[in-house]
Amino acid sequence: MKSFLFAAVAAATFSAGVARAEEPAGVKNRTIGYVLTDYDFATYQTPDGKAECPDGYNDGPRERFERFFPKDGAKGPLTGAQIAREGAIWGPTMEDEPFAFKYAQSKVAIGLNLDGKTGPNDFVSPDGEKGIDNQLYRALGCVVNRRAPGGSLTVFVTTFMQRYNYNRVLLEITDVDSLVNDDDVTLTTYRGRDGLMIDAAGQFLPGGSNRADHKWGKKFIASFKGRIKDGVLTTDPIPNWYMPAKYTFQDVTTRWFRDARFRLNLTPDRASGLLAGYTDVENWYRQIIRSLSTHHLSYGEEYAPPLYRALNTLADAYPDERGRNTAISAALEMNFVRVYVTHPERPVASNDTVSPAAREAGAQR
Amino acid sequence: MRSFARCTAGGFALASFMMGAAHAAPADPRHYKAEPLPPGFQIVATELEGPVIADPTGKTLYTWPLNKIRNGDIGEAKNKPSLCTDAVMKVTSGFMSPYPGGFELPELDKRPSCTQEWPLVIAPEGAKPVGKFAIAEHPNGSKQWTYDGYPLYTSVRDKQAGDVLGSAGRQTGGGDGGVYRRPVTPKASVPPAFSVHTVQLGRLIGITTGYSIYTSDRDGVHKSNCDAACLKTWKPVAAGELAQPEGDWTIFQRGPGQKQWAYKGKPVYTFSGDEKERSFQGGDEPGWHNVWMQLAPKAPEGFSVQDTHTGQVLAAPDGKTVYLYSCTDDALDQMLCDHPGAPQAYRLAICGGGDPARCVKTFPYIPADAKAKSGSRAWTVMWIDPASGREAKAGDVGAMSVWAFRDRPVYTFAGDKASGDVEGDAWGEFNGRKNGFKAFWLRDDFDRNGE
Repeated sequence: MKSFLFAAVAAATFSAGVARAEEPAGVKNRTIGYVLTDYDFATYQTPDGKAECPDGYNDGPRERFERFFPKDGAKGPLTGAQIAREGAIWGPTMEDEPFAFKYAQSKVAIGLNLDGKTGPNDFVSPDGEKGIDNQLYRALGCVVNRRAPGGSLTVFVTTFMQRYNYNRVLLEITDVDSLVNDDDVTLTTYRGRDGLMIDAAGQFLPGGSNRADHKWGKKFIASFKGRIKDGVLTTDPIPNWYMPAKYTFQDVTTRWFRDARFRLNLTPDRASGLLAGYTDVENWYRQIIRSLSTHHLSYGEEYAPPLYRALNTLADAYPDERGRNTAISAALEMNFVRVYVTHPERPVASNDTVSPAAREAGAQR
Repeated sequence: MRSFARCTAGGFALASFMMGAAHAAPADPRHYKAEPLPPGFQIVATELEGPVIADPTGKTLYTWPLNKIRNGDIGEAKNKPSLCTDAVMKVTSGFMSPYPGGFELPELDKRPSCTQEWPLVIAPEGAKPVGKFAIAEHPNGSKQWTYDGYPLYTSVRDKQAGDVLGSAGRQTGGGDGGVYRRPVTPKASVPPAFSVHTVQLGRLIGITTGYSIYTSDRDGVHKSNCDAACLKTWKPVAAGELAQPEGDWTIFQRGPGQKQWAYKGKPVYTFSGDEKERSFQGGDEPGWHNVWMQLAPKAPEGFSVQDTHTGQVLAAPDGKTVYLYSCTDDALDQMLCDHPGAPQAYRLAICGGGDPARCVKTFPYIPADAKAKSGSRAWTVMWIDPASGREAKAGDVGAMSVWAFRDRPVYTFAGDKASGDVEGDAWGEFNGRKNGFKAFWLRDDFDRNGE
């Protein structure tokens, strides 16, 4: 609600550091924060999977390798086996292997209408919304790894979400007058520096605080304008949004979304919903193979090279100079709990970006 | 603080000599605890690992302790016979998931046996056990020195005393990175309350749990000026009643009933803001410093440090992140495949789908002036044939001079567009640790990169 009088009152109370008496639960100084607890690419699925995957699911690396090199068959040189297979993963091409990739056949998908249109390749959401753009689902829908709760990727994502603060994603929503209806709020994302609060049963708890990372996490700071209607926050898209996404050990991968926007159901303690946009195909593929590697992808029968071809085939935005689309529509399902976002770190001056340890060790800048 | 290279240049400079010379550069006796050695064995200085134990010719000693990898254990068990034999391994073990074993290893006609790559440290006739050194019979009948129950080897990769090229700069081994040989090091010269950790920036001192210790510019010799406000953030490392000073480590009375450790006279503390072991976060606070036993050698002129979204990396003169390639093969003897003398098929698969030309575009070598000098042995200029990945000679057709770190070329990644990008990190099998590329990490505030 934007009235001059209201703004003046709000500013006065804010500057006095006193929460307004009428502020909604969870909101303090017209601000509420949330921290991400779990997420996955939105993969609509029926209980038996037959509707979307009538031909079954795709092979994983082990299964595909065994097709080429049966257990009781001749082994031969490593250069034609493991080394060649890894070469295909790290240097993928559009040349297909003699096995058909199984795309999801569903008309239904979870996601958002990114382009405001309803096209022939668009989906219908589970609650009937038309024009849903989520071509990534066609590629992932019949990959076991992606099918929660059985797919092992969810385990990795959740485990490493808890283990490493690297993955911490904070939302700070400001200018909040109501969590039900407010036509002008700002959502800012940060990477957090602190852990998640979990109870003895492993449930994520609202409350607590989390420090925004202003030292290393500048890449992850982004602001979205939005509005809340009937408890649902919808933001406008921004050109680029980056998300820290570390699934295993010592990788520092990020995800890149273009035209990114949120749609979240808000409550005083939790937020849940979607982040949708066009994810860069190369970034998506590289994130997966770097973060999980062939070994971990094998857990969930996810073989990367056919996915590379599928992603490039289905890509539906951001054509390059040769007219080939470089990004694919996608959506993340995300869950957050309320947290108090703090900004305690002193700004790093431009001449203070070399860590003293590195400087003392003689590394030159 | 001075770099180790400068340090040694002023005192006991690392002598460059041909293998076989009887006297290597001795290690700084303040950095290790002396122990009994067989006749002629010595403790020599190295640029990153600190003091190592060497044989009478100055060659670094290695052991190969048993460690787990994905589908089994590889290496040698304590007090058991050597598994490094004269036989040439011909097939993969299948110990690294997801690939089964039994496949023929590359370049078998050139593949050495384990004992050719890792010569046994032979005990001479009449040799007697001393300290942790004992003698065991190798399966080939040789009498082999052992250390702490593990058979001892040298590496054919080491050319000079002080080289640790048999395992230098690689992951500590086990898990996903293959099972590396480890240089034999004497105990670091620290009291029981402390520990020393080799990280990419040098040998960092911490308390026994691995958390870093720090000193303050505000303190004097045996004088702490950390007041009540300071003590909320900085915790003095307390010395117990029975603790004894040793070497550079002393104890002073910081208050009634309160004794604190000092290193080279400076009181030491831990930092309440450290979120993990081997942290540099306390050193970000003005006037506070990490404590080093030894600093790594400087990178060559023109290289720089760049911020990333998780810490800092070394960057090439064009500002792009530097990458190291690591590889151990999947044979039972775990041969290194990460240097120009090893089969290149592994690296070429990862950086170019098997195509050398594509590889050079994806992970280009970092060019160096052929006459460039770094001031350290760690950083050298190497001639490479980019069409094969093999070492070349100056003047060879197509050869280029490139920077190498510890005898392995370093690279940048074409996918990095700006300084601080690390899009080529974890590029390869097992997050780049088994057969792949890792950024040249100097600091990672969120994980263990750079350690």
